[in-house]
Amino acid sequence: MSPEFSEKTKKKIEEIVARYPQKEAAILPILHITQQEFGSISAEEEKLVARILGIKPISVRELVTFYTMFPKESLGKYHIQVCSNLSCSLLGAGNFVDYLVEKLGIKPGETTPDKKFTLSTVECLGACERAPCMMINFNYYGEMDPKKVDEILDGLK
Amino acid sequence: MQEKTNEMIKIFIDKEPVDAEEGTTVLKAAERAGIHIPHLCYHPAFPPEGSCRMCLVEIEGFPKLELACSTVVKEEMKISTKSERVVEARKAVLEFLLAEHPLDCPICDKAGDCKLQDYYDEYGLFESQFKEAKEKREKKLKIGKSLILDQERCILCTRCVRFLKEVTKTQDLGVFHRGVHSSVNIYEGASVENNYSGNLAEICPVGAITDEDFRFKTRSWFLKEGESICPLCSRGCNILIEYHPGFSRFELPKRVYRIKARENPEVNGFWICDRGRYGYSYLDERRADQIIMNKKEGENELTCENISRHLGEKIKNLSSARKTSGIALILHTWLSNEELFLLHEIFKNDLKVEKIFFADLPDGEADGFLLTSEPSPNRRGAQEIGFDIKTVDLGALADGTDFLLAFGPFLSGLFSSKDLRGALDKIKTKVLFSSNSNELNSLFDVVIPVALIAEKEGSLTNVEGIVQGFQPVLEPPGESLPEWKVLSDLGKELGMDSKFYSEFTSPEAILSEMGKKIPFFKKKND
Repeated sequence: MSPEFSEKTKKKIEEIVARYPQKEAAILPILHITQQEFGSISAEEEKLVARILGIKPISVRELVTFYTMFPKESLGKYHIQVCSNLSCSLLGAGNFVDYLVEKLGIKPGETTPDKKFTLSTVECLGACERAPCMMINFNYYGEMDPKKVDEILDGLK
Repeated sequence: MQEKTNEMIKIFIDKEPVDAEEGTTVLKAAERAGIHIPHLCYHPAFPPEGSCRMCLVEIEGFPKLELACSTVVKEEMKISTKSERVVEARKAVLEFLLAEHPLDCPICDKAGDCKLQDYYDEYGLFESQFKEAKEKREKKLKIGKSLILDQERCILCTRCVRFLKEVTKTQDLGVFHRGVHSSVNIYEGASVENNYSGNLAEICPVGAITDEDFRFKTRSWFLKEGESICPLCSRGCNILIEYHPGFSRFELPKRVYRIKARENPEVNGFWICDRGRYGYSYLDERRADQIIMNKKEGENELTCENISRHLGEKIKNLSSARKTSGIALILHTWLSNEELFLLHEIFKNDLKVEKIFFADLPDGEADGFLLTSEPSPNRRGAQEIGFDIKTVDLGALADGTDFLLAFGPFLSGLFSSKDLRGALDKIKTKVLFSSNSNELNSLFDVVIPVALIAEKEGSLTNVEGIVQGFQPVLEPPGESLPEWKVLSDLGKELGMDSKFYSEFTSPEAILSEMGKKIPFFKKKND
């Protein structure tokens, strides 16, 4: 079954589209809304967005794959993003990722079978002073080590 | 497609003063002055893209190197296309482009006419510093009815993406992902299915999009090319025929390997349709190359040399017995302007033959761009010469006809062989001029092999009334000869106006005579 936006979201989309001189200029805010509503943007959602904006699904695919924040498949409840850039790597982010891989039993880019955790490695999170750092959903955690991560993850339901 | 003429300004390219059109780009101004600035993503059909960075030039007063494809010329601009900085930059750009490019030239169809290969040879020649493993990507993704995409060879110039966006407006291809993971791709389940898909393989500057029709068949350096006109519809697109001149050591399955578009802004721009591109098998398949005699014609053996004398005698006999009403003609509109003109002069004007029919393939459907509904190249020419294009009516054709002169292989596609045989059996003498063999061969007394448009000289009038000349690219096979030669000899043989016909030693001479008789064919600059 092809996805449909809720009535409330449809109204919101109309408002957003009205802000731009060209319909397709609204594509990024609409993709964010799609992501919130469906949790992921697969081919079905791409086609939905394309239909609303009167463009081809391939144009939506170009944007969805260009950006990293539009996952194709639904993420876990907690999205763990670990920085793998220079400062964090120098302070042991590599070992830290290895620890998470072992603890969660998934590789970066994967989600645990219970859909609780998704692990990703990302480039700089802009918090080098607290390296090695990570984000869980929208919260920052710095100066990470295995002990600290155990405490944080165990506190999540 | 017309460019308006702007005022000219003076610029300097490599210290030489050059006149450039105001508002044009550095690349176009240089091209006009005969200076080639290397480029991969720029294509004259599209606005500048600026993604390949090959066209960097140094401009006095600009701190950084600028892109020649998108920088607009200014009065007194001083441009260097060969300075040390430019040469170094080109080398660096090539090194980046080749960092992810597989060097599989030995198995790549593009090798030999690949711009990346040429530029490396001319401007690269660096020692590779790239030690890392190259990204693995899709190497043979089928993206259209005969197109294969190799993402590893792709340099992301996006010419194909832009072609499908701007020319066909189908947007079948896009660039997915970013950075080193970027790749040209197609939406799942989709396919490039339009009548212009073959242009993608042609505009790809590297071997990323290759054509299954050509893939692994030969190497481009074995091929020669010649300019011709596509005869498969009445648009008259300008084409290049790429053919194998042949090795003496082994026999080749065919001569023609590829048809390419030849730029002509007045007619076809930069493109040709897939029908014209892939429909070239008629040039090699089932060619008639020897005279066929199904009925003994007197004591003399007929040859292609004496055929006009033989026909002349037959016609003279009918004429002196006042029986020219027994002559019928079947023509087609693959014949050139010159041939149709000779036929018109001899048969319609001089012999007053009334039964003149046309046998062309049935009309198809126009595609709204280049392909027209008329599947032959010269219907407009026949009309301008004064023919009434009447399709063959077998009843009217056979009624009271003793002598039939037919041209072309198309009759067999219009009627069943039973009906054809029924009608033709009633006619005493029947002669066929045909380029390709089919069942008609057995229905006529004599079949004379003739040259195709790619094998002779002449001109065609396209659907818009543009008269375009063509020259032979290929040798006519075997004994086959061009119709205009037989017809001008026939005119002389009939002795109707020997001075008039003796001047017709070439299609060019015929066309200039036509210009005097028919204002439409008068050369515009005469």
